[in-house]
Amino acid sequence: MRRFTPLLALIIIAIVVFSTVSANQSQYPFITPEKIKGVLDRIVKESGGKANLTELAVTPGQRSLYLLEIGKKESGKPAIMVVANMEGNSPTATEAALKLANKLVGDWKGEDEDHIWYILPLGNPDGYARFFNVPSQALMVNDKPFNDDNDDAIDEDGAEDLNGDGFITKMRQLHPEGTMIVVEENPLLMKKAEAGKGEVGKYRLFPEGIDNDGDGEINEDGFGGVNPGLNFPHNFKHFTKTAGRWAASEVESRAIMRFAYDHPEIAMAITFGRTNTLKAVPESSRRSQASQSTYKLPRWMARQAGVDKDTKLPLSEIVVLGRELFDYPDLTEEQVLQYLDAGAAVNPSKKDLPYWKEISEKYNEFIKEAELVEKRLDPKSSRDGSFEEWAYYQFGIPSFAVDFWTIPEPEEEKSKDDSGLSIDSVEKMSNDEFIALGEEKIAKFLKDSGSPSQYTAAMVIQGLEGGMMDTKRMAKMMRKNKKKDEGSGADETEEALFALNPDAFVAWQPFDHPTLGKVEIGGMVPYSTVSPPTEAIDSLLESQLPFMKELAGMLPKIVIDRVDIKRLASDIWKVEVWVVNNGFLPFPTHQGQKCQRPSPAVATISVDLKNILDGKKRTVLKLLEGSGGYSKAEWMIRAPKGSKIKIDSHSFSAGIDQREVILEGGSR
Amino acid sequence: MKLSNYKILLSVILVLTLITGSVTAGKVNLTFDHFYDGPAVTKALKDLNKAYPNLTTLKSLGQSEEGRDIWCLTINNPKTGEDTDKPGIYVDGAIHGNEIQASEVCLYLACYLLDNYNELLTITDLVDSRAFYIIPTVNVDNRSRFFEVATGYNIGRSAMVPYDDDRDGLFDEDDYDDLDGDGEILTMRIADPFGNYKTHPDDPRVMVRVKEGEQGEWTRLGREGIDNDGDGQINEDTPGYLDMNRNWGFKWQPPYVQGGAGDFPMSSKPVKAVSDFIITKPNIVFNFAFHNSGGLIVRGPGSKLAGRYSQRDVKVYDFLGKEGEKIIPGYEYIIGGQDMYTTHGDFDEWMFSNNGIFGFVGELFMSEQEQYRPPKDDKKVDTEEDHSYYGGTSAEERQKFNDFVTQGAMFKEWTKFIHPYFGEIEIGGWRKFTTRIPPLFMLPEMVHRNSALVLMAARHAPDIKVELIEVTNLGNDLRRVRVRLINPNAIPSLSNQAISKNIIRKDMVTISGSGFEIVSGGVLQDIHYDQVSYVEYRPQMVFTSVPSFGTREIQWIIKGKGKAKIEYNSIKAKNQTLSIDL
Repeated sequence: MRRFTPLLALIIIAIVVFSTVSANQSQYPFITPEKIKGVLDRIVKESGGKANLTELAVTPGQRSLYLLEIGKKESGKPAIMVVANMEGNSPTATEAALKLANKLVGDWKGEDEDHIWYILPLGNPDGYARFFNVPSQALMVNDKPFNDDNDDAIDEDGAEDLNGDGFITKMRQLHPEGTMIVVEENPLLMKKAEAGKGEVGKYRLFPEGIDNDGDGEINEDGFGGVNPGLNFPHNFKHFTKTAGRWAASEVESRAIMRFAYDHPEIAMAITFGRTNTLKAVPESSRRSQASQSTYKLPRWMARQAGVDKDTKLPLSEIVVLGRELFDYPDLTEEQVLQYLDAGAAVNPSKKDLPYWKEISEKYNEFIKEAELVEKRLDPKSSRDGSFEEWAYYQFGIPSFAVDFWTIPEPEEEKSKDDSGLSIDSVEKMSNDEFIALGEEKIAKFLKDSGSPSQYTAAMVIQGLEGGMMDTKRMAKMMRKNKKKDEGSGADETEEALFALNPDAFVAWQPFDHPTLGKVEIGGMVPYSTVSPPTEAIDSLLESQLPFMKELAGMLPKIVIDRVDIKRLASDIWKVEVWVVNNGFLPFPTHQGQKCQRPSPAVATISVDLKNILDGKKRTVLKLLEGSGGYSKAEWMIRAPKGSKIKIDSHSFSAGIDQREVILEGGSR
Repeated sequence: MKLSNYKILLSVILVLTLITGSVTAGKVNLTFDHFYDGPAVTKALKDLNKAYPNLTTLKSLGQSEEGRDIWCLTINNPKTGEDTDKPGIYVDGAIHGNEIQASEVCLYLACYLLDNYNELLTITDLVDSRAFYIIPTVNVDNRSRFFEVATGYNIGRSAMVPYDDDRDGLFDEDDYDDLDGDGEILTMRIADPFGNYKTHPDDPRVMVRVKEGEQGEWTRLGREGIDNDGDGQINEDTPGYLDMNRNWGFKWQPPYVQGGAGDFPMSSKPVKAVSDFIITKPNIVFNFAFHNSGGLIVRGPGSKLAGRYSQRDVKVYDFLGKEGEKIIPGYEYIIGGQDMYTTHGDFDEWMFSNNGIFGFVGELFMSEQEQYRPPKDDKKVDTEEDHSYYGGTSAEERQKFNDFVTQGAMFKEWTKFIHPYFGEIEIGGWRKFTTRIPPLFMLPEMVHRNSALVLMAARHAPDIKVELIEVTNLGNDLRRVRVRLINPNAIPSLSNQAISKNIIRKDMVTISGSGFEIVSGGVLQDIHYDQVSYVEYRPQMVFTSVPSFGTREIQWIIKGKGKAKIEYNSIKAKNQTLSIDL
């Protein structure tokens, strides 16, 4: 109340006058943050004791962060953590999480007894509450008061729906300082003028609203503060508008991470939101110290090792040096990287990528079979400080993100040359098939598809052969180039949105602004890119949610595969144990190995310490690759013939196993 | 029954006498001929609070992992204003549990400020014009344990958060063991002709590294302990490890990049409690966090990742750091990440880079002070390993100091012991209240000089004066009003970091009154050339800051005349008003 008093009247008028349903808040009965408790209670009730509800935290807006627990807990049983709508702008994600929970206790009841599901259907209740506000404004922040402009008042200058259409859109003003122009092909859209093309900037853009506090800025300090979906500590960005002052500054992100660290059985994270790492595997293209090939030694280490301080050495050589220097034969590359202060990993481990790629192919096949064939815009890549990045890079577990929908790509005219080659058809070819076309045909194709002349056929073939390029990435690059050259210059998403739903744009209409004078108000309706057309939502979820079961089925499964017993002397035995991973994914992930998470799998032998002559009673198992990867434990023990011994393999999140053997002559 | 009632009555009377005794004494006069254990620190704070109820508030900021209170003593004279209206000085100690004397510095500082209020003019001024926030012990768990369990000078740095140091799936399962039951964890050595050490020819207690090809005598076996979990290693998974000084929020890095970082920023309870408190005190201009050892006054940046500090801020640091070197002879002012080692997520970095507050880490005590040599002999030798802790004094010289200055109190002679694993070994070495911790007779000087360092910085907190430069009649009923803000001290009203990262609201200078309207206003860029950066909107309100040892001139042009009030309103410095007649 305190914050909105001057606006209250305006808002009330807006609500009364524009009670019609707006373009984004479609007829789909999205569950509001206020109603979610009721839905979850019903799921718990209908689950027959299979589900439990926990409140993880209370947000600054006094809303609860709920977590639903489905499945019976057992030692070694893995759990999948599903976190939805962390940024508060993804209604489909919350619906998907609730639907998933419903299925697990309903349709799919009894199908999955091997996993526990932790489902957090709404990670940012405060931010999501704004999705339902009228007028609607895309603000994905929680209700923590924040003095955005650091002046004498907090949250004193928010937006106003000046034209009373129920949306906070944009204002444009003709001004010499303007950098924007109207897109020629579509007067609803605007783009940045390119001076290099002789375009002259005309308009200044402002968010719709007035300068409430008379400081010359419009809407510079609206309600609320931090987007908890950007507040996780991997690649957290300081001093941005909504990520928070520091990582883990918000109750939402803290509660989620605390819960994860308190539950070592969590083996996989799935994020429902605005990104999709299943459709396209995240590219490993960031630059970082951690992925350098050679390193300078720290001065003290160079001195001790007798190496010139400016010499750069490959990591493998530094590991060997370090093992001698610290007299520590188990020194790992990861530990050395810590000494070298190489910083955090920013790209997926090269050794994890093949798994991610295979899963991505499976997903793409899966949605093809579900007849979701429409070509869509590329999903957004994971954002810095997001939950899904944290789950992989710092928590060390496989982490996937699904968005269920992006805007369909507008139909493009197929550019076909005489040979019938188009970017689309080339994309479907394998590298070898493409190379087999021969230099001449490839050169023609490059020319016809408008590639820059410096890309010769010979160069492209060389790139493909050398593995630096593949047909898919090539097609993507060519499309981008083409769009730049031939397109209208408008934002790709806005164009696609317009093609899908012209009503998602408010036509520019004149308005007499109290401080700016003559302006026009119009542009994209808030939130209009975030959710699919109403009629498509159910089928999109129905067809994609079963893949979550597939993902769960890919978790590592660690079992004792073989135990060999050799008699070395009268009472002396050698025990060799092969522990095997029967799941698809490795345990842990290679990134997990680097960040020393999760807790390792351990093989234990039931022999007194004093009778173990060699080997460790608890032997920590090295990383087990997926699909049959193994780790071996061995002991030399003293025991009378005929004794029974027990071997245990234990992990918090990849199963437990046990084997009993009797010490007898020979092997097995 | 009767007897026990009598006893209770007697004890009640006794306690009452004690309490009233301490209250009526007026001065608390804490003594520094001993170290204060956990309960004694709390009691000292309560005594100070009881003796000076008008100048202090004592508040528990929260509980540690083991449930101990983290106490904060605020020293503020409410008669001169609320604490948040004045520049705040934040001082804490012992974020690393084994760095105990940091708490004594904090207690001394608090007691000195209070006992000398109305005695020394400087102190009276400081108490009246600043707010002091003093947290003697951040790592309350391990500092308390330092006095309560068998330990050594290098043990107990961590928060009491379980951690699987050796990555075997078990947590904290192989702690040190006090084998000989003397209440200390010392060093184990074993006779070994192939060992890397031999006995020093001049002192049989000292071991020196053998040269290449030379016959050895000893192998060092690390600190006292056994292989509790039977994994073939000794003491490899001790309680903790979460280093609370790597658990703060600016450019925090996970444990695989920064050891001891914790699960996420501010994941340890004391760090969360203290950071929540600091957020409520935006008036803090300066912080000092005491550690041991090395005799250092350390500033950030702690890492390359943290970025550079701007020259304007570096000048402030340099001034305070170099003054500090004069107050504590032998202490050196250095840059952590450059002159020492890389740290991510430490307290000072968070204070400066995230909150724009200047601050130092004080590394208390240096063993160079344990000298036994003729005057003006500056030889510096490192012989024993861990040389950083021994600084410029060789082990033999320290033994002489031990023998003739502390009468043998510092070193425990090597003594035979039958170890369950190694057989016959020897246990001995520098005892727990040594090496990083000064001998008691040096404590009073250490606590005083380091408190003096804090007080010097406190004097340099911004004291902004507002003065009228001129009111000039420009004709046509227009008048030009110029005022000057003056900061005679080293700490600016806002750091450049706070300004450039838009962390804290700038100082507001406003003009108000009736009978005139404000035509324009702004900060004078150059008073001699009439260069003004005009405020386009709300010209009555100018946002600015006052630099280190500097001034800021502000100009308004008004139409009309009358009485005007000029108000200077700052988050950090004390607000001022000036009434003028136009």
